[in-house]
Amino acid sequence: MLIDVFTVFREEADANGIVFYYSGILSQNVIKTMGDSLKQKLQIQDESGARSRKVFSTFIEMIQNAMHYSPSTPDSEGAKEGSIIVGRENGKYFIICANFIEKQFVPRIREKLDPILQMSAEEIKQAYRAQLKNEQHSEDSISKGAGLGFLTLARDSIEPIEYAIRECVSTNDEDQLSCFYLKATI
Amino acid sequence: MSDLFIAASSDTPEIDFQFSNKTLTISGEAYPENGVEFFRPILKNLQSHLNSMSGEQLEFNFKLTYFNSVSTKILYSMFELLNEYAKNNPNCVLLNWFHDEEDDMILSFGLDIQEDFTWIDFSAIAIS
Repeated sequence: MLIDVFTVFREEADANGIVFYYSGILSQNVIKTMGDSLKQKLQIQDESGARSRKVFSTFIEMIQNAMHYSPSTPDSEGAKEGSIIVGRENGKYFIICANFIEKQFVPRIREKLDPILQMSAEEIKQAYRAQLKNEQHSEDSISKGAGLGFLTLARDSIEPIEYAIRECVSTNDEDQLSCFYLKATI
Repeated sequence: MSDLFIAASSDTPEIDFQFSNKTLTISGEAYPENGVEFFRPILKNLQSHLNSMSGEQLEFNFKLTYFNSVSTKILYSMFELLNEYAKNNPNCVLLNWFHDEEDDMILSFGLDIQEDFTWIDFSAIAIS
């Protein structure tokens, strides 16, 4: 019976243009291996160099962000966890990443993302340039991405990036944790 | 003046700073888990070499094919150091910016560098 379920899972994924899917422990080694696998897959699909690079770059930026922000949950014995999917729909690639975040960081993340969602492409470019020059951020101990990560994703996405913060149902730490989803289109 | 060589790994670039030949090259991909930790000693090394140099020509070959946002920020401060040197030693820093002709992300970062660090002589080189 479980083989049947897995067959459906696989066939549905293929039929819906899923190029890559992962859910589990996040470490730099896992990320490097996933990056290699994704690169090869895009190459096999004969995707243009420029587009492949943007998909790869968005993938790495998102998954490293997930690794950085997701708390070490007792459920996973201190390891970081996250999920990511890359797919193709109507000739465009979408990349969606999901990870747990501590509830205390929710306002901080909204504060960073909400203004970006309102920006035009030109404004994103300007904000990116300003952030690149901003030196104060390099001393920020929480934000390793120096505030440039979300702007990089927004700049490279051909449609506005989207995010969602949802209640976690599948964890024992429901009170402390939320689920953060981020989507970009290439 | 000792050279600095660090071999590439899958997520860190090759650093080939030949101060003896006045040719510095960085190539490969840069997305280490902790970019600051990786790059800080390299920038320190570069800074101390620049401090001991005067009026000497320096050629920098930028050949990275991918760098994440953390690395981007640090690379920016690396060019800041080179720009400072070039300010005190005009026409002494040539930056060769190698980029795949299809890759607008790398070129656009190069153009930002060119715009912000005007003491550096910038040369974009497209690779087909």
